Amino acid sequence: MREQGALGAPAESGGEPGTSGRGRVLVAVYATFALAAGARAAVQIATRFGEAPVAYLLSALAAVVYVVATVGLARGGPRGRRAALVAITVELIGVLVVGTLSLADPAAFPDETVWSAYGRGYYFVPLVLPVLGLLQLRSARQQAAQKSPPKSPPPKSP
Amino acid sequence: MTPILVGTITVVAVLLVGLGVLSTLARRRIGLAHLVAAGLLEVLLLLQAALATASLAGGHRPEETATFVSYLVGVVVVPVAGVLWARTERTRWAGSVLAVAGAVVGVMVWRLLQLWEATGA
Repeated sequence: MREQGALGAPAESGGEPGTSGRGRVLVAVYATFALAAGARAAVQIATRFGEAPVAYLLSALAAVVYVVATVGLARGGPRGRRAALVAITVELIGVLVVGTLSLADPAAFPDETVWSAYGRGYYFVPLVLPVLGLLQLRSARQQAAQKSPPKSPPPKSP
Repeated sequence: MTPILVGTITVVAVLLVGLGVLSTLARRRIGLAHLVAAGLLEVLLLLQAALATASLAGGHRPEETATFVSYLVGVVVVPVAGVLWARTERTRWAGSVLAVAGAVVGVMVWRLLQLWEATGA
Protein backbone atom coordinates (compact mmCIF):
# COMPACT_ATOMS: atom_id res chain seq x y z
CA MET A 1 0.00 0.00 0.00
CA ARG A 2 1.56 3.24 -1.12
CA GLU A 3 -0.23 5.34 1.45
CA GLN A 4 1.11 3.15 4.20
CA GLY A 5 4.64 3.76 2.97
CA ALA A 6 4.20 7.51 2.73
CA LEU A 7 2.20 8.21 5.84
CA GLY A 8 3.58 5.40 7.95
CA ALA A 9 2.42 2.11 9.36
CA PRO A 10 -0.67 1.97 11.53
CA ALA A 11 0.04 3.12 15.05
CA GLU A 12 -0.10 1.02 18.13
CA SER A 13 -2.68 2.24 20.56
CA GLY A 14 -2.20 2.89 24.20
CA GLY A 15 1.12 2.76 25.95
CA GLU A 16 2.40 2.50 29.46
CA PRO A 17 0.30 4.17 32.12
CA GLY A 18 1.08 7.84 32.50
CA THR A 19 3.17 7.94 29.36
CA SER A 20 0.41 8.32 26.80
CA GLY A 21 1.39 9.61 23.39
CA ARG A 22 -0.31 12.92 24.07
CA GLY A 23 1.85 13.25 27.16
CA ARG A 24 4.93 12.62 25.02
CA VAL A 25 4.03 15.56 22.80
CA LEU A 26 3.75 17.74 25.88
CA VAL A 27 7.16 16.51 26.98
CA ALA A 28 8.52 17.56 23.58
CA VAL A 29 7.14 21.08 24.02
CA TYR A 30 8.46 21.29 27.58
CA ALA A 31 11.87 20.08 26.44
CA THR A 32 11.93 22.80 23.81
CA PHE A 33 11.16 25.45 26.41
CA ALA A 34 13.72 24.03 28.83
CA LEU A 35 16.29 24.39 26.08
CA ALA A 36 15.15 27.83 24.95
CA ALA A 37 14.93 29.31 28.45
CA GLY A 38 18.19 27.69 29.49
CA ALA A 39 20.11 28.96 26.47
CA ARG A 40 18.62 32.41 26.87
CA ALA A 41 19.51 32.59 30.56
CA ALA A 42 23.03 31.31 29.90
CA VAL A 43 23.67 33.95 27.25
CA GLN A 44 22.16 36.75 29.34
CA ILE A 45 24.02 35.86 32.52
CA ALA A 46 27.30 35.24 30.71
CA THR A 47 27.32 38.41 28.62
CA ARG A 48 25.52 41.15 30.57
CA PHE A 49 24.46 40.03 34.03
CA GLY A 50 24.94 43.50 35.54
CA GLU A 51 22.32 45.15 33.32
CA ALA A 52 19.25 43.39 34.66
CA PRO A 53 20.15 40.77 37.28
CA VAL A 54 16.55 40.22 38.39
CA ALA A 55 15.28 39.53 34.89
CA TYR A 56 18.19 37.22 34.10
CA LEU A 57 17.87 35.29 37.36
CA LEU A 58 14.16 34.87 36.56
CA SER A 59 15.13 33.47 33.16
CA ALA A 60 17.40 31.00 34.92
CA LEU A 61 14.64 30.07 37.39
CA ALA A 62 12.23 29.54 34.48
CA ALA A 63 14.78 27.29 32.81
CA VAL A 64 15.15 25.16 35.97
CA VAL A 65 11.37 24.92 36.30
CA TYR A 66 11.03 23.76 32.68
CA VAL A 67 13.79 21.18 33.12
CA VAL A 68 12.17 19.73 36.25
CA ALA A 69 8.75 19.66 34.57
CA THR A 70 10.21 17.97 31.47
CA VAL A 71 11.99 15.28 33.47
CA GLY A 72 8.99 14.75 35.77
CA LEU A 73 6.55 14.39 32.88
CA ALA A 74 8.92 12.17 30.91
CA ARG A 75 9.63 9.78 33.79
CA GLY A 76 6.07 9.57 35.04
CA GLY A 77 5.23 7.44 38.06
CA PRO A 78 4.09 8.93 41.36
CA ARG A 79 7.41 10.69 42.03
CA GLY A 80 7.77 12.06 38.52
CA ARG A 81 4.21 13.33 38.61
CA ARG A 82 4.75 15.00 41.98
CA ALA A 83 7.92 16.74 40.78
CA ALA A 84 6.13 17.84 37.62
CA LEU A 85 3.15 19.07 39.65
CA VAL A 86 5.38 21.27 41.82
CA ALA A 87 7.32 22.60 38.82
CA ILE A 88 4.22 23.32 36.75
CA THR A 89 2.50 25.05 39.68
CA VAL A 90 5.57 27.29 40.12
CA GLU A 91 5.50 27.88 36.38
CA LEU A 92 1.85 28.93 36.39
CA ILE A 93 2.33 31.27 39.36
CA GLY A 94 5.54 32.58 37.81
CA VAL A 95 4.04 33.42 34.46
CA LEU A 96 1.05 35.14 36.10
CA VAL A 97 3.08 37.13 38.64
CA VAL A 98 5.94 38.07 36.30
CA GLY A 99 3.49 38.78 33.49
CA THR A 100 1.49 41.14 35.68
CA LEU A 101 4.54 42.84 37.21
CA SER A 102 6.23 43.32 33.85
CA LEU A 103 3.16 45.15 32.57
CA ALA A 104 2.53 47.11 35.78
CA ASP A 105 6.14 48.16 36.36
CA PRO A 106 8.14 47.88 33.10
CA ALA A 107 11.09 49.69 34.71
CA ALA A 108 11.70 46.68 36.97
CA PHE A 109 12.12 44.47 33.91
CA PRO A 110 14.43 46.30 31.52
CA ASP A 111 15.03 43.13 29.52
CA GLU A 112 12.57 40.47 28.49
CA THR A 113 12.23 37.16 30.28
CA VAL A 114 10.37 34.10 29.04
CA TRP A 115 7.45 35.10 31.24
CA SER A 116 7.35 38.85 30.49
CA ALA A 117 3.90 40.07 29.44
CA TYR A 118 2.53 36.53 29.97
CA GLY A 119 5.02 35.08 27.49
CA ARG A 120 4.15 37.41 24.63
CA GLY A 121 7.63 36.95 23.13
CA TYR A 122 6.89 33.24 22.84
CA TYR A 123 3.40 33.52 21.36
CA PHE A 124 1.83 33.07 24.84
CA VAL A 125 2.87 29.43 24.86
CA PRO A 126 4.28 29.89 28.43
CA LEU A 127 0.77 30.85 29.56
CA VAL A 128 -1.00 27.89 27.92
CA LEU A 129 1.65 25.27 28.70
CA PRO A 130 1.12 25.01 32.48
CA VAL A 131 -2.63 24.63 32.00
CA LEU A 132 -2.09 21.78 29.53
CA GLY A 133 0.51 20.34 31.89
CA LEU A 134 -1.87 20.29 34.84
CA LEU A 135 -4.64 18.72 32.74
CA GLN A 136 -2.20 16.06 31.51
CA LEU A 137 -1.07 15.32 35.08
CA ARG A 138 -4.68 14.93 36.18
CA SER A 139 -5.52 12.46 33.42
CA ALA A 140 -2.27 10.56 34.05
CA ARG A 141 -3.15 10.32 37.73
CA GLN A 142 -6.64 9.04 36.92
CA GLN A 143 -5.21 6.50 34.50
CA ALA A 144 -2.75 5.28 37.09
CA ALA A 145 -5.54 5.02 39.67
CA GLN A 146 -7.61 2.88 37.28
CA LYS A 147 -4.69 0.54 36.56
CA SER A 148 -4.06 -0.15 40.22
CA PRO A 149 -7.27 0.39 42.22
CA PRO A 150 -6.89 0.89 45.96
CA LYS A 151 -6.35 -2.42 47.64
CA SER A 152 -9.47 -3.94 49.04
CA PRO A 153 -9.21 -5.54 52.46
CA PRO A 154 -8.12 -9.16 52.23
CA PRO A 155 -10.94 -11.68 52.45
CA LYS A 156 -11.54 -12.81 55.94
CA SER A 157 -10.36 -16.28 56.59
CA PRO A 158 -12.73 -18.41 58.55
CA MET B 1 20.38 34.90 5.94
CA THR B 2 17.86 36.08 3.39
CA PRO B 3 14.08 36.44 3.67
CA ILE B 4 13.73 34.17 0.62
CA LEU B 5 15.60 31.30 2.26
CA VAL B 6 13.74 31.86 5.53
CA GLY B 7 10.46 31.84 3.60
CA THR B 8 11.37 28.58 1.86
CA ILE B 9 12.35 27.00 5.17
CA THR B 10 9.03 28.14 6.65
CA VAL B 11 7.08 26.51 3.80
CA VAL B 12 8.86 23.19 4.32
CA ALA B 13 8.44 23.48 8.11
CA VAL B 14 4.70 24.09 7.70
CA LEU B 15 4.54 21.10 5.34
CA LEU B 16 6.19 18.98 8.05
CA VAL B 17 3.68 20.24 10.63
CA GLY B 18 0.84 19.34 8.26
CA LEU B 19 2.19 15.84 7.58
CA GLY B 20 2.73 15.24 11.29
CA VAL B 21 -0.79 16.29 12.24
CA LEU B 22 -2.19 14.26 9.34
CA SER B 23 -0.58 11.02 10.49
CA THR B 24 -1.77 11.60 14.04
CA LEU B 25 -5.32 12.13 12.76
CA ALA B 26 -4.98 9.04 10.57
CA ARG B 27 -3.72 7.04 13.56
CA ARG B 28 -0.48 6.18 11.85
CA ARG B 29 3.18 6.31 12.69
CA ILE B 30 5.53 8.40 10.57
CA GLY B 31 6.51 7.24 7.10
CA LEU B 32 8.61 8.12 4.08
CA ALA B 33 6.86 11.44 3.43
CA HIS B 34 7.81 12.69 6.88
CA LEU B 35 11.42 11.62 6.48
CA VAL B 36 11.67 13.35 3.09
CA ALA B 37 10.18 16.60 4.43
CA ALA B 38 12.37 16.54 7.53
CA GLY B 39 15.43 15.74 5.39
CA LEU B 40 14.69 18.63 3.03
CA LEU B 41 14.22 20.91 6.01
CA GLU B 42 17.54 19.81 7.46
CA VAL B 43 19.36 20.43 4.15
CA LEU B 44 17.92 23.95 3.95
CA LEU B 45 18.90 24.66 7.57
CA LEU B 46 22.45 23.44 6.93
CA LEU B 47 22.60 25.67 3.84
CA GLN B 48 21.41 28.59 5.94
CA ALA B 49 24.01 27.83 8.62
CA ALA B 50 26.76 27.69 5.99
CA LEU B 51 25.69 30.99 4.40
CA ALA B 52 25.41 32.72 7.77
CA THR B 53 28.80 31.38 8.87
CA ALA B 54 30.39 32.65 5.67
CA SER B 55 28.80 36.04 6.20
CA LEU B 56 29.90 36.14 9.85
CA ALA B 57 33.43 35.34 8.73
CA GLY B 58 33.09 38.11 6.17
CA GLY B 59 32.54 40.66 8.92
CA HIS B 60 28.75 40.93 9.32
CA ARG B 61 28.05 41.12 13.05
CA PRO B 62 24.49 40.97 14.39
CA GLU B 63 23.98 42.92 17.59
CA GLU B 64 23.56 39.81 19.72
CA THR B 65 26.11 37.55 18.12
CA ALA B 66 26.11 34.98 20.95
CA THR B 67 22.33 34.57 20.83
CA PHE B 68 22.38 34.44 17.04
CA VAL B 69 25.01 31.71 16.90
CA SER B 70 23.25 29.61 19.56
CA TYR B 71 20.00 29.84 17.58
CA LEU B 72 21.85 29.02 14.35
CA VAL B 73 23.35 25.87 15.85
CA GLY B 74 20.24 24.98 17.85
CA VAL B 75 17.83 25.09 14.92
CA VAL B 76 19.93 22.59 12.95
CA VAL B 77 19.55 20.03 15.75
CA VAL B 78 15.76 20.30 16.03
CA PRO B 79 14.66 18.26 12.96
CA VAL B 80 17.23 15.56 13.74
CA ALA B 81 16.02 15.28 17.34
CA GLY B 82 12.40 15.29 16.13
CA VAL B 83 12.98 12.46 13.64
CA LEU B 84 14.95 10.33 16.11
CA TRP B 85 12.22 10.75 18.71
CA ALA B 86 9.35 10.21 16.27
CA ARG B 87 10.90 6.99 14.92
CA THR B 88 10.99 5.45 18.39
CA GLU B 89 7.45 6.57 19.19
CA ARG B 90 5.13 3.68 18.40
CA THR B 91 1.85 5.46 19.01
CA ARG B 92 0.03 7.77 16.62
CA TRP B 93 1.56 10.74 18.41
CA ALA B 94 4.85 10.24 16.57
CA GLY B 95 3.60 12.65 13.91
CA SER B 96 2.69 15.24 16.52
CA VAL B 97 6.20 15.16 17.96
CA LEU B 98 7.51 15.87 14.48
CA ALA B 99 4.90 18.61 14.03
CA VAL B 100 6.18 20.29 17.20
CA ALA B 101 9.71 20.12 15.80
CA GLY B 102 8.51 21.69 12.53
CA ALA B 103 6.72 24.50 14.37
CA VAL B 104 9.81 25.19 16.50
CA VAL B 105 11.96 25.48 13.36
CA GLY B 106 9.39 27.76 11.72
CA VAL B 107 9.48 30.15 14.67
CA MET B 108 13.23 29.95 15.22
CA VAL B 109 14.21 30.90 11.65
CA TRP B 110 12.16 34.10 11.84
CA ARG B 111 13.73 34.97 15.16
CA LEU B 112 17.11 34.29 13.53
CA LEU B 113 16.31 36.67 10.70
CA GLN B 114 15.25 39.30 13.24
CA LEU B 115 18.53 38.91 15.12
CA TRP B 116 20.47 38.99 11.87
CA GLU B 117 18.95 42.24 10.68
CA ALA B 118 19.51 44.00 14.02
CA THR B 119 23.10 45.06 13.45
CA GLY B 120 24.74 47.03 16.21
CA ALA B 121 25.72 50.31 14.60
